[in-house]
Amino acid sequence: MDSTQGNSIEQHNCKQHYEVLQELGDCYTSVGNHAQAQQCYEKAASLEPDEPGPYVGLGVVALQQELLNDAEIAFRVACRLDPKSAKAYAGLAMVAQQKNEYPQAFELYMKSLELDSDNITALLGLFQTSCQMRSFAKVIHYLQVYLNMHPGDTSVMFSLAALYMKESQFEQSRKILLDILALDPANQEAVNLLEEVEHSLAQGSHII
Amino acid sequence: MPDARYDIQDTRFGPMVSVLISTFNRRQYLSEALSSALHQNYTNLQVIVVNDGGQDVSDIVESCNDSRVVFINRKENRGKAFSLNEALARAKGKYIAYLDDDDVYYPDHIERLVNALENQTNCQVAYTDLYKAYCKIMPDGSRQILGKGVEISRDFDRFLMLYFNHALHVSLMHRADLIEKTGLYNERLNILIDWDMTRKLAFFSDFCHVPEITGEFYSPVGECDRISIQHRKDQSEYMRNVLAIRTTRPTKPWPKIDDMSIILVADKLDKQAGQTIGSIWRHTFYPYKLYLPLPQADLDRLKTDMPNVELVSIGPAASQAQGVDEALRICDGKYVTIVPSGFEIQEMWIENPLYALINSSTTREGFELEDSTDVVWAAVFRKEDLQYARNGFPKLPVRQSLEAAGITLRQQRPDELPFQFDDLLQQAQLTEKDGNWMKAAEMFEYIAENYQNKLWMKTLAARAFYKAGDHSRASKLSNQVNRQRPTVDTLLLEAKVAHERNDLNAAIGLLRRAQQILLGRAYYIVSAETNG
Repeated sequence: MDSTQGNSIEQHNCKQHYEVLQELGDCYTSVGNHAQAQQCYEKAASLEPDEPGPYVGLGVVALQQELLNDAEIAFRVACRLDPKSAKAYAGLAMVAQQKNEYPQAFELYMKSLELDSDNITALLGLFQTSCQMRSFAKVIHYLQVYLNMHPGDTSVMFSLAALYMKESQFEQSRKILLDILALDPANQEAVNLLEEVEHSLAQGSHII
Repeated sequence: MPDARYDIQDTRFGPMVSVLISTFNRRQYLSEALSSALHQNYTNLQVIVVNDGGQDVSDIVESCNDSRVVFINRKENRGKAFSLNEALARAKGKYIAYLDDDDVYYPDHIERLVNALENQTNCQVAYTDLYKAYCKIMPDGSRQILGKGVEISRDFDRFLMLYFNHALHVSLMHRADLIEKTGLYNERLNILIDWDMTRKLAFFSDFCHVPEITGEFYSPVGECDRISIQHRKDQSEYMRNVLAIRTTRPTKPWPKIDDMSIILVADKLDKQAGQTIGSIWRHTFYPYKLYLPLPQADLDRLKTDMPNVELVSIGPAASQAQGVDEALRICDGKYVTIVPSGFEIQEMWIENPLYALINSSTTREGFELEDSTDVVWAAVFRKEDLQYARNGFPKLPVRQSLEAAGITLRQQRPDELPFQFDDLLQQAQLTEKDGNWMKAAEMFEYIAENYQNKLWMKTLAARAFYKAGDHSRASKLSNQVNRQRPTVDTLLLEAKVAHERNDLNAAIGLLRRAQQILLGRAYYIVSAETNG
């Protein structure tokens, strides 16, 4: 075994405990066990003080408990540790959104998506904020980019269809909704929206 | 006459095992090491602690208050080999085990090894696997664990053991009486003393690999204070030790290794012959003795401190064939290599064809060395074949006599080379390094299916599949390993995939097991379960 190989094994093994704690924290967060999750993230942060991951995790835990100030502090630390952390910006955006600061939330979601156009949390957050602000054009672009990379993601497809509808682009909306129903014929939300779209289209043709 | 060594056995618990711990200035860790040796499931122990002239540790040893502990408190620092020899002199166990003063055994360590040696095999030596625990040394001297990995889990390979130690000293147990055959630890070595011993043990016994993780040794991140690591930085010192080990020949008979004789063919002792001798010394790891058939006048001029050289006096007008015949008369290797002065000698120069010869079932066959030509001809044979040719055709030159005797010569095929497993492993690791994870994963999987070391290879394959994006195969392989012998790496991988599949309870269960291992609690749980 050459020394480079040895070094890469050492690097891998030196972050192992951190990875276990971070992963465990994420799992506990997903099942809503906030106390355990917090404990894991705090230990992970003590092992790798320069990693943003544990602070993002702590931010999410605080957010889930509606401790918005704590969440903001944690996400800000994560941003400082890694100014390119898409998750940290998404977290800050969520905090802003919860504080009803929609323009700021919108900007932060956009920043997050610039860093990682694959970030589904930011994408859906951007969609919600857009709805709250009634400004849809920029969001459509990001949803399209995301769907190019993840064709068949029905929740994002649905969001895009809804946006097209809000923008009165009924044909595009209808096409996407039919695609969703081809993938998931039992999708009731899509069925309902399609009904609305068909209705709008019928009204449009009637006007003409 | 009964052996006094076994008189004090407590037969209720099987044969006594002597655990040897040499310590030097590691007070802060000794207590944990010693405690792990004393808190074994297997209780018939003698634990010998030797203070090799370091800080006083009497308080630590005395606080154990355990009659099984023997304490040798020496004021003068004499080195680890000396300390182990001192401990061996006091050892009363049927078996000897070793523990470094900063490492720990898990509670089943001794039990598993004794069980392997007593019940599962005819081997007189056994070894387990250990975690290498990467840690950060905190200001108070405590160790913060960053990760634990099984860096090597290699089944025993005698040929490899002659070249490289793949049985960690702390994981080793051997019959005490083997020391009478191997000799004591070499006190002239300052590094690799463990390899020197395992190499010598390989002359007398097979090793049983117990693929269970039964302890851990610590590797501080960054600058390491280990004396052996510091000494390794001095390349010339390192080579001095390696050469001393390679040329060590325990007293015969060797039940597990057949000796090799090398006959150097030279018209005279000149610079070229001297260089060839030096090259043989530097590049040969298989045990050998070198025979130098030369006129007495040349032998008188020869000044060498090279070990294992046998001078063979021949007449001033003797032919090269006569020189070979004279050497052949006295050499006692099962295999004989004939090599001319000036032959280019590189690593594996003789081990490759020799390995093919050792494993060849064809009789009357020898192997020509890779760089052998009609002018500079070199080959290795079974001694009986060479003798047969020389006795039958003594007047012919050596090569013609072999031909006349019907002894065929060929070069080894690639599939006859030693270290096939290691070569494949290296190729897979290089493929991995190039970022071709899928190909590397498939190579590791192929090695796992077709060679030994299955768990180790499956672990590497799982990691590579994960990096290649095939999380399903990574999970499947990790699960196979985890069912047999979970490691932090494989538990983490399986958990990541379970998390991706939203099977959060499974992921949490796996991660908690990994966390227990990292915190050093897993083995206590195992122990508690074992003890009901």
